[in-house]
This record gives sequence, structure tokens and C-alpha cells, in this order.
Amino acid sequence: MSEAGEHSTTPVTLVDPIDISTLDPHFRNEIRSMPNGDDLYACFACTTCTAACPIACQWTYKPHQLIRMILLGMRNEVLSSKEIWECLTCFQCQERCPQGVRVTDIIFDCKNLAAEEGLVPENILGLGRQLLESGQLYQVTADWEREDLGLEPEVPGLDPEPMKAILHGTRTGRLVGGGD
Amino acid sequence: MVGPVLIVGAGVAGMTAAVELADAGVHTVLVERLSTVGGNALRLYKAFPTDDCFFCFEGNRWRPGIRKCFYRSALTDQPNIDLRVNTTVVDISGTPGSFTVRLRTEPTYVDPKKCILCGLCTTRSEAFKLSSPQCQPQTVSVDPTLLDDEARRVASECPTHAIDLDATPSEDTLVVSDIVIATGYHEFKPQGVQEYGYGEHPNIITQLELAEMLDPTGPSGGVLLRPSDGAPVERVMMVQCVGSRSVDHFPFCSKICCVFALKHANIIAQEHNGIRVDVVYMDIRTYDRHERYYRMARRAGVGFIRGRVSRVVPRDDGRLDVVIYDSLLDQYLQYEVDLFVLSSALEPSEGTAALISQLGLQDRSGFVAPVEDGSVDGVMAGDHVFVCGTALGPAEVPESVTQARAVVSRILQGGV
Ligand SMILES: Cc1cc2nc3c(=O)[nH]c(=O)nc-3n(C[C@H](O)[C@H](O)[C@H](O)COP(=O)(O)OP(=O)(O)OC[C@H]3O[C@@H](n4cnc5c(N)ncnc54)[C@H](O)[C@@H]3O)c2cc1C
Ligand code: SF4
Ligand code: SF4
Ligand code: SF4
Ligand code: SF4
Repeated sequence: MSEAGEHSTTPVTLVDPIDISTLDPHFRNEIRSMPNGDDLYACFACTTCTAACPIACQWTYKPHQLIRMILLGMRNEVLSSKEIWECLTCFQCQERCPQGVRVTDIIFDCKNLAAEEGLVPENILGLGRQLLESGQLYQVTADWEREDLGLEPEVPGLDPEPMKAILHGTRTGRLVGGGD
Repeated sequence: MVGPVLIVGAGVAGMTAAVELADAGVHTVLVERLSTVGGNALRLYKAFPTDDCFFCFEGNRWRPGIRKCFYRSALTDQPNIDLRVNTTVVDISGTPGSFTVRLRTEPTYVDPKKCILCGLCTTRSEAFKLSSPQCQPQTVSVDPTLLDDEARRVASECPTHAIDLDATPSEDTLVVSDIVIATGYHEFKPQGVQEYGYGEHPNIITQLELAEMLDPTGPSGGVLLRPSDGAPVERVMMVQCVGSRSVDHFPFCSKICCVFALKHANIIAQEHNGIRVDVVYMDIRTYDRHERYYRMARRAGVGFIRGRVSRVVPRDDGRLDVVIYDSLLDQYLQYEVDLFVLSSALEPSEGTAALISQLGLQDRSGFVAPVEDGSVDGVMAGDHVFVCGTALGPAEVPESVTQARAVVSRILQGGV
């Protein structure tokens, strides 16, 4: 038995492996039980999704790596990653995946889980707050923009109040802290 | 005149060739080095691509001529087949179409025609055993190194006087028209591939050894237990391409090891509740229709790690710590495993090299090479010399059988 240790000549101290027993083996089942998550198992790491993605070049974790991390059980790393929030939801990855893995939907599932655990990044929360406070994300910022186009200053019939009221009672309201 | 035909090796390929030639009226001499026919397929439990059990013989013993065992019973019943077990080819001379072959037969000590498998000898002495429930001829085999006084007493008590411990080796010389090489393969024992520690720890095994552990008629009744201490196995890790695709060992892809590894992974995931299986690979090569084994394995929750093993370190509790470089994540991962299974290369059987040189054939990475005559079947190795099955290189059973039939067709057309 001792000999088996002898050929472990790799400089042990330099390699700091991820101990698989510290990961969450149920994470994959958690995702598989969420909407459109079931085909997660089928991923064979071909990287088609990453090749298709218009933004992954800027990411530390590429789409195929996120899927791999889910399968491995790297729950914390995935749910606290910036990548899931930067996804453009363009569905390119999902359209092209040769195994029918619903990558974009799975990223949505991750965002939903992350949100429940209070892991929404500040800039996203800011957007939520704006929605809650103004009832809309895009506001007319200067009168002259409409004037130049020969339009009246106010958008006719636009009333964000009901939207604000509704949002207060939704999960968005709860998550950004302004809701009931 | 065709025949007699010498077939060397009674695995799936040799058996198929023998039975089909014999059925076509050609006298065949089927030579097998071991005491039973069947070759490597004897110990494989379930077989891809049908997932039938290789052990059908046990459950269907009462029934002659069922699909796979048909060949095996025909081997002893077909009058055109002269089956010689415990036999090897000593020397070949003569000319194509009329080879002179010298055979040497080691004694079997038990006459299969007399043995009724009463079990008397096998229960009383280690020297006698049934090598496999589906061995053919259906009789006990004798390990001459274990023959002691008790074995001799048992021999004299055999109810049918089937045992003759004074039997001696014999030699025979034959003239044959054609020679078929069906000597098959041997699973490489990867002692030489340092990083995996094979031979240094009992829980580091090969796929063929795992097949035996999974076999319900095997020593553990199909239950997975750690060889080191008999504790139940909870985590299995497999490593692909051990010895294969390496200029230091075997430069070729052994072709079927991905499929049989996944076959085993699926059997464990489906029949052995709660055992975790992970497969470390560089490519998964489940060629043509076998891709479904790969998808099935992923669905069953088998883990796949693309990368290579950094180190294997035994722990005091009988487990092994395995560190792997995961090339998809660019991370090192550490697993605790009970059983570390190496998908080892398939190499030519011992003795194939001698046949190649005796007959002046070409070799291809040690296997018999077909002649380059442009024919599509690729089973001619020389003038009146044919090759089929894994003697040509790694292959599955259906492919070996198809090649054997191509050989039969060629011989029936006059050996060209
Ligand atoms: C772990 C594992 C699992 C597998 N699972 C499957 C599966 O599920 N499905 C499938 O289709 N295939 C499977 N295979 C492949 C299968 O084993 C082979 O395709 C098949 O057994 C090849 O048969 P063969 O007759 O060519 O060779 P072998 O089975 O090797 O037979 C050769 C015979 O020749 C004898 N011999 C060798 N040299 C001499 C000599 N010089 N003189 C006399 N006799 C000699 C040997 O003793 C042996 O009996 C598996 C292989 C492995 C390693
Ligand atoms: S494209 Fe599909 S199968 Fe390929 S890596 Fe991405 S998710 Fe996996
Ligand atoms: S949906 Fe998201 S992950 Fe998929 S390709 Fe578009 S940006 Fe990339
Ligand atoms: S005692 Fe004789 S008949 Fe019984 S199994 Fe042994 S050899 Fe066969
Ligand atoms: S079949 Fe798979 S395990 Fe075997 S050598 Fe080829 S790639 Fe490697």
C-alpha cells in the first residue's frame, strides 16, 4: 500500500483541489426539478453553447462551464456568479445545443434560486427598485426629445401608478425590499 | 479440395467460423489453448448492444440450441468439428493449401463424455473446478499444480470413472488446407502506467476484473465489494484510455473500452442502488449505435470528468483519494473512491506473434494485419490464411462474428 503513495510525486502542496465532498450533490436535482431544467443531465460538454454566446468571451465561467458546475454541485459558485445575471437571454445557446439542454432556461432557474437566497447583485436590485418607484424602466428624460419629433411633452395615456401598485405585491417587490 | 481447416482460438470468432464451416460440410479442427471454449466473452455478464446476459447458458441449460449457446453445444455435437482444448500449435510447415501442422495437447484429466457434473470432486478438492457455468465442454477442469493425496482419492471415487490423473501430454500432426487465426485479445495489465498504481493496491482494478465482480454467477454473486477488505463499494471511478492512444504503450484507440465502461457504469447505476460512478475521460468514443450508452449513462446520473488523473493516494480507511485535473473547468478536483477501475488497452493475445512469424504474415500494432488486396472484408492474412475477430484488433462481438462469417464465405469459395 505504501508504494502506491510513492509515485505521487506531483508537488502535493501546489495543487489545491476542490474537495468534491464539500459540494452539493443535490444541486443538479434541484435544477432538474425546476421549469425546463430536466434535460440538464444530457449535457456532454461540447461547448456549442459557449461558441454561440455573444457575451461569454467576457465571462470567467462560460455557459458550458456553468452547466458543468451545476452537474458537479458547485451551488455557491453558480448562484453567486455574475454571469447568470449578465446573460442577455438571447437563447442562442439553447437554440443550438445538440442535446436539447435548455441553457437559457436553466440560467433563469439559477437566477430564481439566487434571488430567493438574496444573491441578486446590487445593480439588478437598483433596476428593481426603479421599477417599483417609477413603475417603468425607461423614462422620457428631456422634453425636447419629443418636441423635436413634433410630439406633445407627455406620453398620452401613460400612467405608471397601477404598475407600481401591482409590483409592490409581487416577488419583485419583496426582493428589492420595497414590497409588502 | 477444401478442408480440413485449422482454426486457432475458440472465442466467439473461432467458434462461429467452426460451426458455420462444419454446417457447410467442411471438416474443421478447432484448437483452444484453455480447457474451455468461449474466450473473453465467457466472463462479461451483460453484452452490448442487446444487453442480453452472456450467461444465458446457466438459465437455459435444459434447452439445446438457444441463440448464443447454440454454437457452444454444436461444438461438441457437430461431427464435422474436431474440438481440441488445452491445445496449442507447435509448428507449421508445408505450402498454402496443404499446411502441415503440429499440435500439442496438455492432458485435461477428465473425460467430458463421462463426467456428469455430480460435484463430488469440486466440493472435495481445490484441484477440480468448473471454470464457468457455461464452459464447453461441460466438465470440470483440473489444476495440475494442486493435485495432492486428497485429489487422488477423490479421483478414484468419481462415480463414472471420468478422471484419469495419469494422463500425459500428446502431440499430433495434421495436414490442413486453410488456417484461420482467431486468437483474440488480452486485456493489458497496466502495471507500467505509473500514475494509476495498478498492482499496488487491491482496490485498483481493470474493467475485465470489474465484469467478474458484477457477474451474478461470480465469486461475490454480483455484489460490489472492496477487494481490500470486503466492505461494500459506495463510489466507483473509471479512467478511460489507460495504455491506449499512447506512444509509450499502444498507439491505437482500443475502440470498445468506452462502450464497455459505460455498459458497466449503467449496470452499476441501474442495478446497484446508491453507488456513485464517475468516469474520467479524454474523449468518449461510443461509436455508431453505441452513443445511446453514453446518453443513458448521463441520464442515470453517472458523472463525467474530462481530464486526467494527477495522483491516487490510498487512505487508512481503505478508500483512495484521487486528484483529477478537470480540463473543462481548469480546476483540480479531489474524489474519495472505493473502487478505481482502469479501462485498459486491448493487446494481442500471447502466441499471436509466433503465428505471425511462422506464417510470414504482416502485423499491425501486434495484431494480425489483413493483406492489402483491396477486398472490403479485410479477413485475408495470406495465401489460404485468414483472420477474424479481435485477432485483427479490438472489436465487439457482432463485428467478430461478421468477420468470422466472411472467412467462412471465402473458404467455401476456395480459399481466395
Ligand atoms: C471488459 C470487456 C467487456 C466487453 N463487453 C462486450 C460487450 O458487452 N459486447 C460485445 O460485443 N463485446 C464486448 N467485449 C468485447 C468481446 O470480449 C470481444 O469482441 C470478443 O470476446 C472477441 O472474441 P474473439 O473470438 O475475437 O477473441 P477471444 O474472446 O479473445 O478468444 C480468443 C480465443 O483464442 C484462444 N487463444 C489465443 N491464443 C491462442 C493460441 N496461440 N493457441 C490456441 N488458442 C489461443 C484464447 O484462449 C481464447 O479462447 C468486451 C470486452 C471487454 C474487455
Ligand atoms: S451546447 Fe448543450 S451539450 Fe453542449 S456544452 Fe452547451 S449545454 Fe452542454
Ligand atoms: S442566452 Fe445568455 S448564455 Fe445563452 S447565448 Fe445568450 S447571452 Fe449567452
Ligand atoms: S466426480 Fe466425476 S462425474 Fe462428478 S463432477 Fe467430478 S469428474 Fe465429473
Ligand atoms: S475506446 Fe475510449 S477508452 Fe478506449 S482507447 Fe478509445 S477513447 Fe480511449
